[in-house]
Amino acid sequence: MALRAEPPDGGWGWMVVLSAFFQSALVFGVLRSFGVFFVEFVAAFEEPAARVSWIASIGIAVQQFGSPVGSALSTKFGPRPVVMAGGILAALGMLLAAFATSLTHLYLSIGLLSGSGWALTFTPTLACLSRYFSRRRSLATGLALTGVGLSSFAFAPLFQWLLSQYAWRGALLLVSALSLHLVACGALLRPLSLAEDPVMGGPGAQLANLLHHGPFLRYTVALTLINTGYFIPYVHLVAHLRDLDWDPLPAAFLLSVAAISDPVGRVASGWLGDAVPGPVARLLMLWTTLTGVILALYPVAQAPTALVALTVAYGFTSGALTPVAFSVLPELVGTGKIYCGLGLVQMVESIGGLLGAPLSGYLRDVTGTYTASFVVAGAFLLAGSGVLITLPHFFCFSAPTSKPQDPVTEALDTKVPLPREGLGED
Amino acid sequence: MEGRAQSWVSCWHATPFTSLPVREEMMAKYSNLSLESHNISLTEHSNMPVEKNITLERPSNIELTCQFTTSGDLNSVNVTWRKGDELLENNYLINATGSILYTQYMFTIVNSEQMGSYSCFFEEKKEQRGTFNFKVPELHEKKKPLITYVGDSVVLMCKCQDCFPLNWTWYSSNGSVQVPVGVPMNNKCVINGKNANETRLKIMQLSEEDQGSYWCQAIFQLGESEEHIEIVVLSYWVPLKALLAIAAEVVLLVAIILLCEMYTQKKKKHSDDGKEFEQIEQLKSDDSNGIENNAPRHRKNESVGQ
Repeated sequence: MALRAEPPDGGWGWMVVLSAFFQSALVFGVLRSFGVFFVEFVAAFEEPAARVSWIASIGIAVQQFGSPVGSALSTKFGPRPVVMAGGILAALGMLLAAFATSLTHLYLSIGLLSGSGWALTFTPTLACLSRYFSRRRSLATGLALTGVGLSSFAFAPLFQWLLSQYAWRGALLLVSALSLHLVACGALLRPLSLAEDPVMGGPGAQLANLLHHGPFLRYTVALTLINTGYFIPYVHLVAHLRDLDWDPLPAAFLLSVAAISDPVGRVASGWLGDAVPGPVARLLMLWTTLTGVILALYPVAQAPTALVALTVAYGFTSGALTPVAFSVLPELVGTGKIYCGLGLVQMVESIGGLLGAPLSGYLRDVTGTYTASFVVAGAFLLAGSGVLITLPHFFCFSAPTSKPQDPVTEALDTKVPLPREGLGED
Repeated sequence: MEGRAQSWVSCWHATPFTSLPVREEMMAKYSNLSLESHNISLTEHSNMPVEKNITLERPSNIELTCQFTTSGDLNSVNVTWRKGDELLENNYLINATGSILYTQYMFTIVNSEQMGSYSCFFEEKKEQRGTFNFKVPELHEKKKPLITYVGDSVVLMCKCQDCFPLNWTWYSSNGSVQVPVGVPMNNKCVINGKNANETRLKIMQLSEEDQGSYWCQAIFQLGESEEHIEIVVLSYWVPLKALLAIAAEVVLLVAIILLCEMYTQKKKKHSDDGKEFEQIEQLKSDDSNGIENNAPRHRKNESVGQ
């Protein structure tokens, strides 16, 4: 493999975008549509819905906490073998789940096994994507992440149909077959050697390095705060609407309206992130602040038109902040450490995600309405955007390098010869 | 489905319908039946026959009232009661108040032959009719076919809302033969819930012969009503075939992607090698030219320099 100086910003990179698109669909689309199976599990195992919903919670938790493992392995072996192995694990988990005789069996096969498979696929793929693009990184990420929203549309009716034809056991076998495509997606991730790779060292060294990197730590804190508030509408909007005497069908429809404006926001923000000069962190702060304000406005909106408008806006801004959130990281830590960086960020921010929904539910139980929940969620988002201001070069007006000076000085400290002609201003 | 804790008596020990003999005794003891009153209003201008559906579970005294409003002469109206097509002779009263004609038919329903449609007829210029339809409670719950797999076990459930049948029976039809399913028979076993309004049929070790339609029948003193459930028994091979086909497709995709990559790399390597070869050739020729030329140049320079 020839040593490339810079990310190709196209060419094979678009195939990586395609791979990432399908992977977000197959990981998060499946997770989001899994609710269709829950009704069947509740009937088949005669367990309450709360216990059945642990299946998805365990899966998500394993996916996020396992992200650093996926990242470390990708740093060592490259993304391709790791993602392919992850795909096999995810499919295997679903396959074994088809023969389940108890709920615990499902916790282990779908939650633990498939969750580990997902941990090995999603984060390395997005990190790989960041390495393939620099000027068009946000757009590429935005396009790739639309896979999540679009697949939720497709998979929910598909899973329903599978259930009506094959019952839940057969349907799980076929979802396993679907998840096998993650292996094909992994095959598309051609390894890329960038200039700073030899400098960066193994995963252990990178992880240690990142934990001492001030801006990276601040960024992680910001994302954790953002994650705490981010999911609240998706989790509690329908219940909030029911409190306002909405019927279940229009309430569910409103959520799908957000699901439509979400991918639009992702692509628009991705394009904007590349088009606007300056650190991408500023755009992230913009979208985060807007989302926070929208969340805080939810309790005030009573009229249906106001709620619809707010939900469309929420879908757009919350979708918009995702690609830029991923694009900030290479600007902070460089594409050499991107695998480990992304893994660590995913792991820590998941704490926010895990705490956010129960906290919001608790506030609702204590106060009686979702007002406090939404306001607190908005506050978390605004706090996160506040922390973003402390990131380096935030108030600069010139375009920053996508490979900042820090790795260079660090490399010099470690006394490794560096091909200096490869690094420079874009 | 296996290993679920049964909350009531296990299948093999079920003594069917233990509570019901007590109920039958109760029914015999209590001679005071409940009274059901229903009425229908008709006018001379009603152009559609008016119908009322009544659900009746146990023997009752019935009081049916029809009232007819007309502007014409009430005495000229001919009033009759029929059950189905059969004219009823006695037990009905006729009363007139102002411009409204009342007629009332009182009787008792104790068995299924007495169920059916009772109609009051008012014949003036046009015949006006009001009908009371008596039916046993329906179990009617349209269900989707139940998909199961060979070797699994399944529980079919029939429930009656707010009604308590005397007895439940399960029938299955393989082909067109209806075979009553007893307790227990082969791999099937009937369990009744604590409440008499629920019955379950448990089928264990499903095989393809168990596929087909099943009926649960609720038996009341005044009739029966049925519900139909269909079971489809699939072999695991059905989804497994699809899984293997898709797995083969994935392997093919991966092979194509990796082969394409190896091919483009080889091409690149060849062209790189070719370029390198050319470069080496050029260098060699440059070198040789240089050696040849340098000397003369050098000498030239020297000569110039001098």
